[in-house]
Amino acid sequence: MTNLRESGTTIPGTRSWTGDLFAAIHARIGDGYRRTLLLTAASLLIAFSVWQFLSTFVFNPFLIPPPLEVFRTAIPMIMSGEILADVSISMSRVLVGFIVGSFVGVVAGVLLGRIRLLHDLLDPIIELLRFLSPTAMIPIAVIWFGIGELSKYFLIFWGTLFIVLISTIAGVWRAPIARQRAAECLGANRLQIFVLIVIPSSVPYIVTGMRVAMASSFMSIIPAEILAADSGIGYLLEKSSMLLQTNRIFVALLTICILGFVVDRIFRFFVDRILSRYMSFVSLT
Amino acid sequence: MDTSCTRSEASLLRVNNIQKIFESSRGRYIALDGVSLTINDGEFLCLLGPSGCGKSTLLNILAGFEPVTKGSVLSDNTPVRGAGRDRVMFFQDAGSALFPWLSVEENVRFGLRVRKVPKVEWPSIIDKYLKMVGLDAHRTKFPAELSGGMRQRLQIARALAVEPDVLLMDEPFASLDALTRRRMHSVLLEIWQRTDKTIVFVTHDIAEAILLADRIGIMSVGPGSVITEFLKVDRPRPRDLTDPTVAQLFNRIESLLAPELARSEQLLESP
Repeated sequence: MTNLRESGTTIPGTRSWTGDLFAAIHARIGDGYRRTLLLTAASLLIAFSVWQFLSTFVFNPFLIPPPLEVFRTAIPMIMSGEILADVSISMSRVLVGFIVGSFVGVVAGVLLGRIRLLHDLLDPIIELLRFLSPTAMIPIAVIWFGIGELSKYFLIFWGTLFIVLISTIAGVWRAPIARQRAAECLGANRLQIFVLIVIPSSVPYIVTGMRVAMASSFMSIIPAEILAADSGIGYLLEKSSMLLQTNRIFVALLTICILGFVVDRIFRFFVDRILSRYMSFVSLT
Repeated sequence: MDTSCTRSEASLLRVNNIQKIFESSRGRYIALDGVSLTINDGEFLCLLGPSGCGKSTLLNILAGFEPVTKGSVLSDNTPVRGAGRDRVMFFQDAGSALFPWLSVEENVRFGLRVRKVPKVEWPSIIDKYLKMVGLDAHRTKFPAELSGGMRQRLQIARALAVEPDVLLMDEPFASLDALTRRRMHSVLLEIWQRTDKTIVFVTHDIAEAILLADRIGIMSVGPGSVITEFLKVDRPRPRDLTDPTVAQLFNRIESLLAPELARSEQLLESP
């Protein structure tokens, strides 16, 4: 029994599964965690200091405003609720498009992963359409849906759909054959094997696809708002650029960084809470 | 062919002159050609041969995962079509075969649930088999938290819980370290003796076959593999490899397998 993991935790999923694109900071304990925290703080502090130094003494502070200047600009924008309004409108666009796109992607993915004929019929179309990035779809989306919320929902949906769809199909295909056969021997019928074995086995792939899609949604919402919106972070960028307000541009850029990071963390928190038992590994060997 | 058995004369599984051909885009491959086999009730049969001899294919056919091209497979005198409730397969890679999102207890419960065993019986069945394999104290753990040997014991418990007649085991202990494997051998033998199961055990390890089996079927290298010989192991268990009779048998099997091994290497060199 000495080879049992003696971490003292019984939560599966603290071990990150192979191929995890983000084999990042899982629940670390004790000194390791404190060390990571310290290094993160040091990294940010050094980066800001170098930035402050360079933009004060080397570069034109109008083109690259120093961080202290950026913070000074940010405070009234935060206080007045301007940033919050832009953040919440952009976030709601991302969330609606992401949730609908993920839902359709997962449902279609498990069906296409399981039904060979359906896959072979639709795969050529998917293989062509998936190269149309949300940015490429902006002009037609504006014509179809106008510059209101619907066009943004559509663009995020479009970007999310293909990423989640393809990773879900891959997950269904990689459900270990031995696991399906084991269930079959134990008496499961085809539907039970599909619902109770194949879908749970593909959860790690689905979640990875969703995380990639979430990141891509953050990248596509900005061009969508720059080109076709009158609100949101992208619009803030566009407006500030027109008025040559580099300070405000940097506030918007920093906001995107922080927002993406926070949302990804929240996503992972929920995955760890709800799906951890499905995330522990793909194979034990 | 020797069909006598230590405990019973009834034949449970009968394989009549089967042929198995795999068709793929790269051509057709005759895996098995003219294999016949009778497995008796309560028997411990080992299928032994070098890799590429089709022993796993034969096991998959017995399980009902693969259809035969020619010939017939009978279980209790009824043709095998698909996986049956009387036969449970046991896999080498426990990581793939277990349900990693279910705890030890839930893994065992799965079979009871899908077989619609009355709920009131679940706790006693789960208790019985988890105790039998010594996992009673670990019932809330997940497969990832178990050692390799414990995972294989969980597979045994999960299989036994649905009370099959036959356990089909595909090199079940090949990926375990030597000490754990020895321990698993005695666990398996003890369970076999206590439960009267029939076991068909695939291995490429001569010593493992001799330590476990009532009867060993030696398989030839493909294409067109057959069972070339059946050997009875008529020694009391636990067996000792230094026992002269056993050692003699070991040498005999080794000399039977030597040309097969050479052939399997030749096949690799000239595809």
